[in-house]
Parts: sequence; C-alpha cells; structure tokens
Amino acid sequence: MSTARAAAIVLGKELRLEFRARELLTTTIVFALVIVVLFSFAFDPTAGESRRYGPGLLWIAFLFAGSLMLNPSFAREQSNSTLDALRMAPVSPFAILLGKMLANLIFLCLAEAILVPVFAVLYNISLTSVVAPLALVFVLGTLGLVITGTVFSAVAAHARMRELLLPLLLLPILAPLLIAAVETTASLFAENPALDRAWLAFLAGFDIVFLTASWLLSDFLLEE
Amino acid sequence: MKNFHFLFAAWVAVWAVFFVYELSVASRLSRLRAEMDSLKRQLKE
Amino acid sequence: MKSRVPITVAAAALVFFAGYAALFIAPDERTMHEIQRIFYFHLGSWAAMFTALTIAFIANIAWLVTRQPRWDWLGVSSVEVGVAACTAGLITGVLWGKPAWGIWWTWDPRLTTCFILWILYISYLILRGLIEEPQRRATLSAIFGIFAFLDAPLVYASNRLWVGQHPSPVIMGGKDSGLDPAMGRVLLVAVVTMTVMMLIVLVDRYRLERLRHELDELRLAAESGSSSPKPLAAKELL
Repeated sequence: MSTARAAAIVLGKELRLEFRARELLTTTIVFALVIVVLFSFAFDPTAGESRRYGPGLLWIAFLFAGSLMLNPSFAREQSNSTLDALRMAPVSPFAILLGKMLANLIFLCLAEAILVPVFAVLYNISLTSVVAPLALVFVLGTLGLVITGTVFSAVAAHARMRELLLPLLLLPILAPLLIAAVETTASLFAENPALDRAWLAFLAGFDIVFLTASWLLSDFLLEE
Repeated sequence: MKNFHFLFAAWVAVWAVFFVYELSVASRLSRLRAEMDSLKRQLKE
Repeated sequence: MKSRVPITVAAAALVFFAGYAALFIAPDERTMHEIQRIFYFHLGSWAAMFTALTIAFIANIAWLVTRQPRWDWLGVSSVEVGVAACTAGLITGVLWGKPAWGIWWTWDPRLTTCFILWILYISYLILRGLIEEPQRRATLSAIFGIFAFLDAPLVYASNRLWVGQHPSPVIMGGKDSGLDPAMGRVLLVAVVTMTVMMLIVLVDRYRLERLRHELDELRLAAESGSSSPKPLAAKELL
C-alpha cells in the first residue's frame, strides 16, 4: 500500500475517532481560550499593546495547548494496543506518523481558526485585511509544531512523567520555529501589514528539515 | 589591571568545571571497579 | 591497562602552557585589554563542545544503524561531556559580557540559540533517566539526540546570519574580520588543549558506562546461578 494511501486511512481513523467524542478538540480550544483571557491581566489590552504582544502570546498559547494535546493523542493508541495492530499492518511507519501528524494539524488549525478571530475581537485588532497570509503563517507554524510534536510524543510515550517530559523536550526544539512564527505574525499584525518573507522562508525551511528528519527516523521510532 | 578579577574568575570556572566533572567520573569509576572485584570474588566461591 | 601517567603529564603540561600563553604570550587587545584574554578559554570551550556533540551525533546514528552497545555508551558520555563544555562556555561568556558590555546577559541570536542547545542536551540526559528498558532508552534518546543536533549548526551560524550583541565571527568572517596572527597561534593552543581535556574526560566517562554494563551482566549471571559470566566479545571492549 502506498504511503499516501496508508496515511490517508490513518488520518481518516483519527478524524472519525475524534469527531465522535470531540473531547480532545473541545478541551484544547477551551484551554487556549483561557490563556487568551489571562493575557488581558498580563498587559494593558489597548489596541497598540495588543498588536505588539499579541503575536508572541498567541503563539505561546498554541504551543502550550498543542504540546498538551499531543500526549493524549498518542496515549490513546497505547491504552488500546492499537499501535501494535498498526505496526503489524503492511504500511510504512512513516505513513502512520504522517496520518497522525495530519490529524493533529487539522485539530490545531481548527482551534486556531476559532481562537484568532476571538482574540481579534477581544483585543480590538482588525485582521480582516490579512486573513489569507495569516492563515498561511498559522498553517506553516502549526505544521512545524505537529511534525516535531508527533515524533516526540512517540519518544515520550515510553518514558515516565510523560506529561511534563513532552513539553520539556518539545519547546526548546521549537524555539526557532516560535521566533519565526512570531516575527511573521507580528509583521501582519502591524499597523501597515507586510508579510516578512525572510522569516516565512525560515518557517518553511524548518518544516522541511524536520519532516525529512522524521521520515529518516520513522522506522526506529515506532519499533517494538 | 582592569577587570582582572573577571579574567581570573573565568579561568577558575573553566578548570573547576573540568576538575569537578573529571573527579566525579573517576570516583564513580573506582567505586564500580571495587564492586566489580567483590562480585567476581563472590562468584568464585 | 596502559599507564595513565604519560597522558596525565602531557595534559597538565598543555594546560599550563595554554594558560601561560593566554595570559602572557598573547598580545594585548586594543579596546578591552586584559579581559579579552577570556576569548581563548571561551572559544576553547566551544570547540570542545562542538567536537563532543558531533561525536554524540555520530554515535546516535551508529547506534540506530548497528545496535552495538558501545555506540550508546559513547552517545551518553559525549553528551554529558558536551553539556559540561557548554556550561564552561556559557560561564566564560557571562564573565566576559559583564565587563565588556555592562550586562550579564542579553537575548541576542547567538546567546539564545546556545542557551537552547544547552537545555536540549540537558533534556537528553533527563530523558535517559526516565526510560527504564536499556534498548528502548538507547533508541529513543538517540532519536532525540539527532533532533537536538539540528540546533547546533544554527548556533554556529547565528552570528553570521544575524547581527546582535555578540560579536560577529573573526575567523572566516566577513571583509573586516580577521585575527592577529599571534592571537591566532595562542587560540590554536587553547582550542587544542581544551579539546584534549574534553577527550580525556570522555574516555573516562565511556569507561564508566562500559563498566556499568559489565557489572549489570555480572549481576545477572550471579542471579541466574552460572559460575562465570559470559565474557564480553572482544569487539565490544573498545
């Protein structure tokens, strides 16, 4: 079976599973919303301040929400031993990984699609003129997050204290991604928005490098 | 000599890091070797 | 085991000579005078660190490919030694920064990426402590170690790609960079010395790891009641 087809099947399974109960999605969205609200205590939410601090705080919120969401998504496989079943199927480990990455990408992007407009309303920033480039930045940034996060959740799955370990492993590795994402988002939040192409290229480069590394290491990641 | 105390502190810090680490490794090494020897003697009996 | 006296004497001689050279042979720097001499220990630490982390990277890959235990031993040893070298580099940097810039720290690209590298490899050691089963521990930490190493080129390139508080490269830098030849010679001595010191500690740490493994095998043999443990194959004893 081709990698693409296998990944699509895994993706379909993940989506069906999640949309039956929607517990992961709703919890992630509400958690990120709580952080967005807490921002208003951290700085004076005038429009000017919000434009300056918004990008950084938004990305931190999604980074934390994302890294907390990744553990349950992998732990679910372990508790039902579905991972063993997947391993025995004639699909490449990378296909399984890819399917999970895409599922996590969709979940997080959905959360962002809801929360960024909410943020814009609560903090009086108009983002209607930059919706398309903003969407691109969030997809590329979230892609880097889920690529690395899915791999590391597989690593942390076999360790003790995995709830604390995953963010500990993930957040330092994602620091360059965070910087690039914040810079590009800030360039779009500014009074005169102009997408920062250099940082956007860095973001895309990060995604490519980490996807390649994941592909090369996928066999070792999901072994017994 | 301006800032000599910073220079001296840096020199001390470098060799302190080295020596503390090397000493900890060396002491663990000798402790393990002793344990190894005693275990070998036990097995011979 | 070969006598360690010649190596120890040679290493001590190198250390004394490097220190003497840095303090007395190297010429005085124009703006910073004495405090600039930290440069030799500072760069020496980084050279030792990058060497150690490169060895770790190679060991991680070698473990995944060959599954021979000695690569796992080399991996954890070189990461630990690398973290120690990084610590020395950060300390010397801070002690140079305060008199030279007036601030202990700043979040410029070089310092930030380097601090992250330090945390990443500490996390590697924490990760190892949290996985019980040896095979799995070796494999998963090797995977993480490979990802962590992706930050290392970024640290190296950070003061070439961006301008920050930290000085731009003086070696293989841009047009206006370059090092006084006398300073260059002292720098070479310092880099060689600190890399050699790192390798000496690395060998000991590796022996420690190998001994732990042998001890565990011995204990297993003792528990299973056999009179003598299975000897390690000659090739594993490297």
